[in-house]
Amino acid sequence: MSLSWAPVLLMLSVTAGAVTPTPTAAGSAVDIRIGAVLASNNGQEFDPRLVSLHRQLSVLFPYTSYRLVKQEKQRVRPGGKVGFDIPGGRYLLVISKGLKNGRVSLRVMLIAGTRPVVDTALTLRNHATFLVGGPRHKHGVLIISIGADTVPGTAAAVPTSAQ
Amino acid sequence: MRDVALHSSRCHECEGELRRLERLQDLVTEAINARTAELDLSRIWPAVETRLGAVRVSWWQHFRLWWEEQDATWWLRVPAVGMAAAAVAVAFTLWTNHPEQVAQTPTVAPVAAVDNSATIDSLDSTANAVAVLNEPETNTTVLWVNDDSDYGSQGFPP
Repeated sequence: MSLSWAPVLLMLSVTAGAVTPTPTAAGSAVDIRIGAVLASNNGQEFDPRLVSLHRQLSVLFPYTSYRLVKQEKQRVRPGGKVGFDIPGGRYLLVISKGLKNGRVSLRVMLIAGTRPVVDTALTLRNHATFLVGGPRHKHGVLIISIGADTVPGTAAAVPTSAQ
Repeated sequence: MRDVALHSSRCHECEGELRRLERLQDLVTEAINARTAELDLSRIWPAVETRLGAVRVSWWQHFRLWWEEQDATWWLRVPAVGMAAAAVAVAFTLWTNHPEQVAQTPTVAPVAAVDNSATIDSLDSTANAVAVLNEPETNTTVLWVNDDSDYGSQGFPP
């Protein structure tokens, strides 16, 4: 199935409720950080750009090589979404749902073709990073890092759906 | 000798001469043994030992003697000498730097505490399997998705 259908399906899914603004969501903008790490047992490379994840990657996974293959950062308001083309054909959609008790509320969807493989709602500590791993790519697996940083001074008069 | 013995058994003159010579040999042997028994050898070793005590052997000669007595082959001696030299160098370095270290106040680099704690409010998946992992030191949450059936011996999650 063509990847071009993914945004359409996502919009349908989002229309069902994800983008609908929640009354409790604060209006702060959030910087969403997304990175795709290719983990494999080919070589001993550790990408220096992943130094902040070194502890987690080395403890949680048995791979010998970690390379950052792609990363993006986008600022979104509550209800705004960030799309991320994952190498290998999958698609990641992160939707900001604002702040909840000082934590960033997100909806994360991992889509393969037209099929949403994972659809999860979570709250993340400010400046924290969440990992989604498992998709195979080349001779390894992809580990997607998703981070959120609130942007100070953007709380007033924020539209409920912006990107 | 065989020809002499054969001839002496048939010639009485030569046989008599041979017996006289044998008797003379016995007398000489008895005389030598008697004189040797009279010698006092008990004072010989103390005299030698006093002279040996006067010899001074340097530490370097001691070391060479000890080294030559070792069974180790040459390729075992090289690392031993290297380690000994390294130990001496380290000891010297520590000894020379110790006063300065005492004078310094210990400085501890600030460690940025990382807390990646996340709370999963809901989770839907169509994958074959989904696992939630957690790294305790930084509270990092990992959602591990088995999107195909090809994990095989690697197991799931890894």
